[in-house]
Amino acid sequence: MNENLPPRKVSRRRFLAVGGGAMALAAGMTIIGPETILAYSNPSDVRNAGLPPNTQTINLTATDGWIYLPGSLAPDASGRIVFPDPLGPKDANNNLLQNVYIFGFREVPAGVDPLSLKGQAQASAPLLITDEGRSVTINLTNAGLQVRPDLVDSHTVHWHGFRNAIPLFDGVPEMSIAVPIGRDFTYYYEPQDPGTYMYHCHFEDVEHVHMGMTGVIFVRPKQNTTGNSSGAPIARYAGGAASAPLGYAYNDGVALNNPLSTAYDREWSIFLSEVWAKAHYDDAHIQVSDWSDFHSDFWLMNGRCYPDTLEVGSDPNVTPANPKLQYQPISSLIKAKEGEKVLLRIVSLGYTQSAMTVPGIDLRVVGKDAVYMKSKVDNTSTSYLTNTVYIGAGEATDVIFTAPAFSGISGGTSGNGYDTYLLYNRDYSNSTSGSAAGYGGQMTEIRIYPANTSATILPAQSQPNT
Amino acid sequence: MRLAQIKTRIRGLSLALVALVMTGLVAGLPSQSQEAFAAVNKTGVVCTTGAAGSPTFNLTAKSGYISLPDGNTAFMWSYANGSGTFQLPGPVLCVNEGDNVTIVLNNTLGEDTSIAFPALENVTVNGVPAQPQFDSGGNLTSLTNVATKSGGSVTYKFLANQPGTFVYQSGTDQGKQINMGLFGAIIVRPNVTGLPALPSGVGYAYKRADSAFNLSNEYIMITSELDPDLHQAVERNQAYDITKQHPRYWQINGRSFPDTIADNGAAWLSTQPYGSMVRMQPYNTSLTSPSHYPGLVHYINVGMLNHPFHPHGNHGRVIGRDGRALASPGNEDLSYEKYLILLGAGQTWDVTYQWTDVSQWNPATKPIPVTVPQQQNLTFKDGVTWYSGSPYLGLKDDLPTGTTSYNQCGEYYQVWHSHALNEAANYDLGFGGMFTLQRIDPPSPNTCS
Repeated sequence: MNENLPPRKVSRRRFLAVGGGAMALAAGMTIIGPETILAYSNPSDVRNAGLPPNTQTINLTATDGWIYLPGSLAPDASGRIVFPDPLGPKDANNNLLQNVYIFGFREVPAGVDPLSLKGQAQASAPLLITDEGRSVTINLTNAGLQVRPDLVDSHTVHWHGFRNAIPLFDGVPEMSIAVPIGRDFTYYYEPQDPGTYMYHCHFEDVEHVHMGMTGVIFVRPKQNTTGNSSGAPIARYAGGAASAPLGYAYNDGVALNNPLSTAYDREWSIFLSEVWAKAHYDDAHIQVSDWSDFHSDFWLMNGRCYPDTLEVGSDPNVTPANPKLQYQPISSLIKAKEGEKVLLRIVSLGYTQSAMTVPGIDLRVVGKDAVYMKSKVDNTSTSYLTNTVYIGAGEATDVIFTAPAFSGISGGTSGNGYDTYLLYNRDYSNSTSGSAAGYGGQMTEIRIYPANTSATILPAQSQPNT
Repeated sequence: MRLAQIKTRIRGLSLALVALVMTGLVAGLPSQSQEAFAAVNKTGVVCTTGAAGSPTFNLTAKSGYISLPDGNTAFMWSYANGSGTFQLPGPVLCVNEGDNVTIVLNNTLGEDTSIAFPALENVTVNGVPAQPQFDSGGNLTSLTNVATKSGGSVTYKFLANQPGTFVYQSGTDQGKQINMGLFGAIIVRPNVTGLPALPSGVGYAYKRADSAFNLSNEYIMITSELDPDLHQAVERNQAYDITKQHPRYWQINGRSFPDTIADNGAAWLSTQPYGSMVRMQPYNTSLTSPSHYPGLVHYINVGMLNHPFHPHGNHGRVIGRDGRALASPGNEDLSYEKYLILLGAGQTWDVTYQWTDVSQWNPATKPIPVTVPQQQNLTFKDGVTWYSGSPYLGLKDDLPTGTTSYNQCGEYYQVWHSHALNEAANYDLGFGGMFTLQRIDPPSPNTCS
């Protein structure tokens, strides 16, 4: 029982791991500018510099924090105002910010004590990226809860959908272990199967998942590094030529010009979650929630509500231009040039189903639950076209679309140089923010630029969600 | 207080598990036929069968009570087998393709009731197709022929013309009656003439060579919701507004976790005979071993809501839906793998599962390449665990003093649950509800039984 454990500083093992990263930095490795550092970890990340090429280390800390939501919420039946939370942070003029309390994860930067991130959780969790065949360790530290020193909950990481998992690394506290405050644990994985997965804490799961300890993890296919025998080249993610696709969703085995190819030029993770404001308020105010009363007030895409979904991504370690979104660092703004292939990894860890739709653009469903859509008999593709993806709680769907022809209108349909399409939840109540009028919630824009748009206006993508 | 009750219940359960193992009931199954197996198994499908070729089942609609893990009870309606005691759900009726099946419904309830067979074809009553019922004013009163209240009966007949998983449920005032518990399952076994012979202990789910499964790893999971306000209103003969339905309990086979993992026929769940703990051994490369073949789960969602169900540990392969094999018109296999099964209201899904020891972790030959956790630095939640103390399959190791372990022989446990996590709860308490476990035993020979 964790309440008897003495407080403890970071372990020697963890200290060495962190120190190793710091040394890599000191050795003068290329540092990605803060404007492009995202809240994610991938194999080429400087924080993994110095490790053997086929290994990857991800350092996460679990704690609490506050996030901003637009819109408003009517008082509940008893007249109580649960959003914005009166315990939440205030701006420089002492005005209460529109915040809700969350639990969540943060990636630990090199040289930083994971316990020092207490109270600075982000939503959604850092986007984790790895490769088929790589050896992956995830170090989890429980930094405790800033707002609830009385609450001594442990945390875990559950890699949702990982095949042939063993209980020690599956993150279900009743089936193996959990990590109490001030302690850490190392999870180890050898991912064999490319595709889109998710991860979340499984401790007091109905509460911790809903409170925001949820994110996306995906495994890139071997075909990225080898190309395939049908002539598809090595992907840009793996050092391929500038003319090569950025990546492949799966080991599709077909030529680039095959309509069934899973090659893409740009990719976005579209992570769906929900906020029942009362439960978040209750957690901040030392109250318990009756989860059988669950109902959402806010519907989030990558941890934000529209129109915040359109804002650029940022680094949670740096105060961004829009400081209210510091701990919601992942952008959902989708940009592509006419004719480019765009991969959307749509993932839900809400408790209700979502119907994500793109009027005017066909979506080709190429994968579900980290499984390439193909026949068991002869490996032919069973992908199909749709414009709405119905997705369950805990489900993932990969779709690829071809950016439609630019309208040719001067300035585009937007007047800003691009044509505008929308991606939103067809359950329209989920396209609002709380009880506010107007649009919000799970919605973003897809901006289509002319084919000859300069790299200054729209550079080639090198990281997802940029 | 609720937590204490649940702990007590789990402890009772672990004792039962030990008893099961001591009597050796799980071992030695492969040579038995499906029906003989069903008669003795503590986990897996418990089949109710009838005469070969023309089985007759007598189902009695009656009321009774079930118990819930938090100490509550619920007043229910369901189907008893003949003059047997009340049980939830109704008996699992197993028949063979080609059988002429007769189902007699006897109604002891205070209102008319009926049985609908949504995915079965050519159901007849008195020699003519079963019909929707209308009153003299032309108003629909039932989806199908009824057994009148307080003693009436009706006889349904059908030819089981295709293998698969089917639901039987009330066809009268369904919003109320199905929620009250009037539901059950029918499994139609395929006629396997012409299919390749299989090793002992292996059978076919469909009339397809690619549907082979391990007969001793066959499970049924009937998912449902329970709103105690409805059950109280019916018990007290009060009005209930179905539009206000608000489930507080979520069930598999009429039980909520942790009761779901208790044995079939557990004594303390006398009206809830069916468990849903999934038990298997790792994939075996030998073609003659039943563990070369996957286990099979028949999912049946009799609730009014969709349930996104997530088995940990591995993907499942969806081989059938709504009593039909997933096959193209040319009979090509259209099965596919998923880690999340979105069970729609009224749907049945047949999904096969296998767990493969891919990494083959072994303390001598392939140790886990991270520091073995220092258990005093970690939490075993609430002081109880299903963990063996060792990360390696088949090994046990020390656990901190004061930690209660339910682990028997170094087996692995995975959780299988609704990922609408508000449903993985008993009312306001988590780690319950529509939730069960998969148990992966070390390969034979082992010390498990």
